[in-house]
Amino acid sequence: MTDTTSILGYAWPMVVSPGEEVAFHLSSPSVSKADAAVVRVRCGDPDPAGPGIRAHEMAAPFERTVSLVHQVIRPGSCAIVADAPALTSFQSFTVGAFLWPTMPGDRAQTILSRWREDTQEGWRLGLDADGHLEFVVAAGGRTWRVVTGAALLSREWVLAGASWDAEAGRLAVMVRSADAQAGRDRSECVEAPGPTGLEWPAAVPLVIAAQASDGGGELFDGFYDGKIDRPRLHASVQPIDGLHRLCESMNFPMTDARLIAAWDFSRGMAGESVTDLSAHHLHGRVRQMPTRGMTGANWDGSTDRWTDCPEQYGAIHFHSDDMADAEWEPTLRFTVPAEWRSGFYALRLRADTGDEPVESFVAFFVRAELGKPRSRLAFVASTGTFLAYANSALRLDQVHAEAMLEGVLTLSRDDVYIQEHREVGLSTYDTHADGSGWSISSARRPILNMRPRGNVFNYGNDTHFIDWLEETGQDYDVITDDDIHRHGVQVLAPYTCVVTGSHPEYISREVWEAFDAYQRSGGRHMYLGGNGFYWRIAYHPTVPHTIEMRRGMTGLRTWEGEAGETALAFTGEPSSTWRSNGRPPQRLVGVGFDGQVFTHSSPYRWLDGAKDPVLSWLTAGIDLAAPLGDFGLRGNGAAGVEIDRVDWSLGSPPGTVWLATADRLGYGGTPAPEEIRTLHRGVMGDQNAQVRADLVYFPTANGGAVFSTGSIAWVCALSHAGYRNNVSQLTGNVLKRFLDPAPL
Amino acid sequence: MLVTYPEAAHWPIDPDRLDLVEEFRRQPRGPHGDELQKLLHRLRWAGDPDQPGRYVLIVTQPGKEWMLGRLPRQRGRPIELMRNHVFTSIAEAEWEVFKLRWEAVTGRTLPPHLSEKLV
Ligand SMILES: [Fe+2]
Repeated sequence: MTDTTSILGYAWPMVVSPGEEVAFHLSSPSVSKADAAVVRVRCGDPDPAGPGIRAHEMAAPFERTVSLVHQVIRPGSCAIVADAPALTSFQSFTVGAFLWPTMPGDRAQTILSRWREDTQEGWRLGLDADGHLEFVVAAGGRTWRVVTGAALLSREWVLAGASWDAEAGRLAVMVRSADAQAGRDRSECVEAPGPTGLEWPAAVPLVIAAQASDGGGELFDGFYDGKIDRPRLHASVQPIDGLHRLCESMNFPMTDARLIAAWDFSRGMAGESVTDLSAHHLHGRVRQMPTRGMTGANWDGSTDRWTDCPEQYGAIHFHSDDMADAEWEPTLRFTVPAEWRSGFYALRLRADTGDEPVESFVAFFVRAELGKPRSRLAFVASTGTFLAYANSALRLDQVHAEAMLEGVLTLSRDDVYIQEHREVGLSTYDTHADGSGWSISSARRPILNMRPRGNVFNYGNDTHFIDWLEETGQDYDVITDDDIHRHGVQVLAPYTCVVTGSHPEYISREVWEAFDAYQRSGGRHMYLGGNGFYWRIAYHPTVPHTIEMRRGMTGLRTWEGEAGETALAFTGEPSSTWRSNGRPPQRLVGVGFDGQVFTHSSPYRWLDGAKDPVLSWLTAGIDLAAPLGDFGLRGNGAAGVEIDRVDWSLGSPPGTVWLATADRLGYGGTPAPEEIRTLHRGVMGDQNAQVRADLVYFPTANGGAVFSTGSIAWVCALSHAGYRNNVSQLTGNVLKRFLDPAPL
Repeated sequence: MLVTYPEAAHWPIDPDRLDLVEEFRRQPRGPHGDELQKLLHRLRWAGDPDQPGRYVLIVTQPGKEWMLGRLPRQRGRPIELMRNHVFTSIAEAEWEVFKLRWEAVTGRTLPPHLSEKLV
């Protein structure tokens, strides 16, 4: 058994040009020295029934023996306001916000604080371990505390606050439920004795949704799960009505000198700063990218997009497990030699210290430089999709996984690691510990399922196509979603043919439009996958390799977002499926997602469209009476896993030639939710011809063309029988013609 | 919040239907008849409620060898590796897990001719 997790790391940036520097941020709790080598990845799938792991070692300009140290990951999001004179300028005060807690009673959590946990001084408003609202004030070794009698309910809005009356020596904690009936009322105000004067601790930040661990300003704990909306801090003693008015207010007269801070989280939604409306400008910054653009306590359902009405989206949903940046120190850097070809690369780390050999890969991509193609063919690394799936714990956490996959779950060493080490941060398929959807994914952390070995999906499947290109001697460039997003069609334009792989599922508007423009201007696109061009995502406006997506109310979604929260905080665009954004994939690539099949994959059968003599270049050397792809590494067929079909009403172009179909998938063929209007039996693949994979070709403007296979299993059938098979032959026929500049 | 409940699968299992056990043993990876599909859905959906975790396989050698394990229902808890349950085919592993689940859900021991390893 190979140990794939004792050394982990990430490359930054994840995508580099020849001549640029890449840094590897590595960590190991157990291995102090490892052998490091850069490899160019040809096949990342260890399955002995296929080509196996194939990686070419490069002559890299660095010392091969690297020293490793253990670097920890600190998950948990919060907002931090650096210490300022205004924060210690008062004695009596009131603090509060609207709260929508998601894990009250799970553990103690801090909501608003200017508190040092190591010395136990300052003040903090939070939930105690049982979910009661708690206010603590402490200094000089003395602590005063007041707590409510009833625990807060999960996922119910309350106004929550506290006050300290220094003159009277009283503390108060107060809750007002937004829906105070039918068993939901948690409204109460509790008072207790407090100090009559205090010395505040020096140099402590004010923290929202956590507290400072010490005076260093770098470490935080007591993370809160749930939403916080419109937090306020006022240097006066207010009863709950006064706090309510403060929290409801969005405009503050500058004549109110006692207003210390009033944060409006609806400003600068895409970024990492939080804005204070007061005269003190106590702006802060968020860490670990909590979810913004969330409905506030005042959301009234009049819109489902924060851009229409930002003042109803003043909540941030903080998660104790948010993780956007592992913040590891770089271990190794090197400059990619200018002559290296673009491709899938990885740093391979080996060590032989324990019971098992350690071999761990850290993936990075070398892009073909913009405007400097070295081939007429480009293969797209679906980095948007790799990020969306990064560290997926779907099979570990979701009840339906074993039933969906039609068999006992088979887990890799990487899965075993992720089950135990949730600090690496999960994927957009997963839910946070509080059950809410994981909507942001970044590459500044180890990504265990985007590298050779480990779990073979997306990255591993796509390397089967690279392996086939290498086997057939075809030269190619590699380009990435991230670059297409940034530079648009310019990235695609130099190529006569562009290939997208097994699962180009997560697509920003910019990427969609680049492909559309490319196809319209004579480009040739081979889409060799399934469930492609499906979800609409956004890239972070400034942080590279960071995506956001919201799963809406339709589509094959492993979580459902909350009502009113389907617009992306990074851009304000609607998310959800492209189909519900008016762009079914059929319109771009002829086919669109319709179902899954995990029992077994199937061959396609040729249709009359393929028999047109005009298409003899496409079918040359192929027996059209024989099944197409009755073999393969994914379910023993070329049509399977996630599949797409033609639909004229969803925009398959009238010029589409429907070449072949796999429409006899049996009971394992399960339709996508958006394929069913109403409930009735008879929707599974044994009875429903709409659950199928279709193979299509169509010409586009200016001599361009599109060829689509509509199946994830396709590329995993290429190597069958020594690469001599009809899937390989057809792929080769299309590629050869698509590389010929003569108009189609 | 849309939640998926592990107790949702409730197709009633008849402990006398050893014909379904035999059908599964013949073809652990399918295809299966309607009733066996329903039986398997119930077992797979529920995920071993009588156990400290769901039975899973850990790949020890890709494509060649798998080890039985139990996946705890709480995040962060380690997967329990059952080192003396090692399989050299997925079908063999499916059969072993099926037998464990059948006996747990029916409360009955399988007769000798149905309790052996798959050959
Ligand atoms: Fe997918």
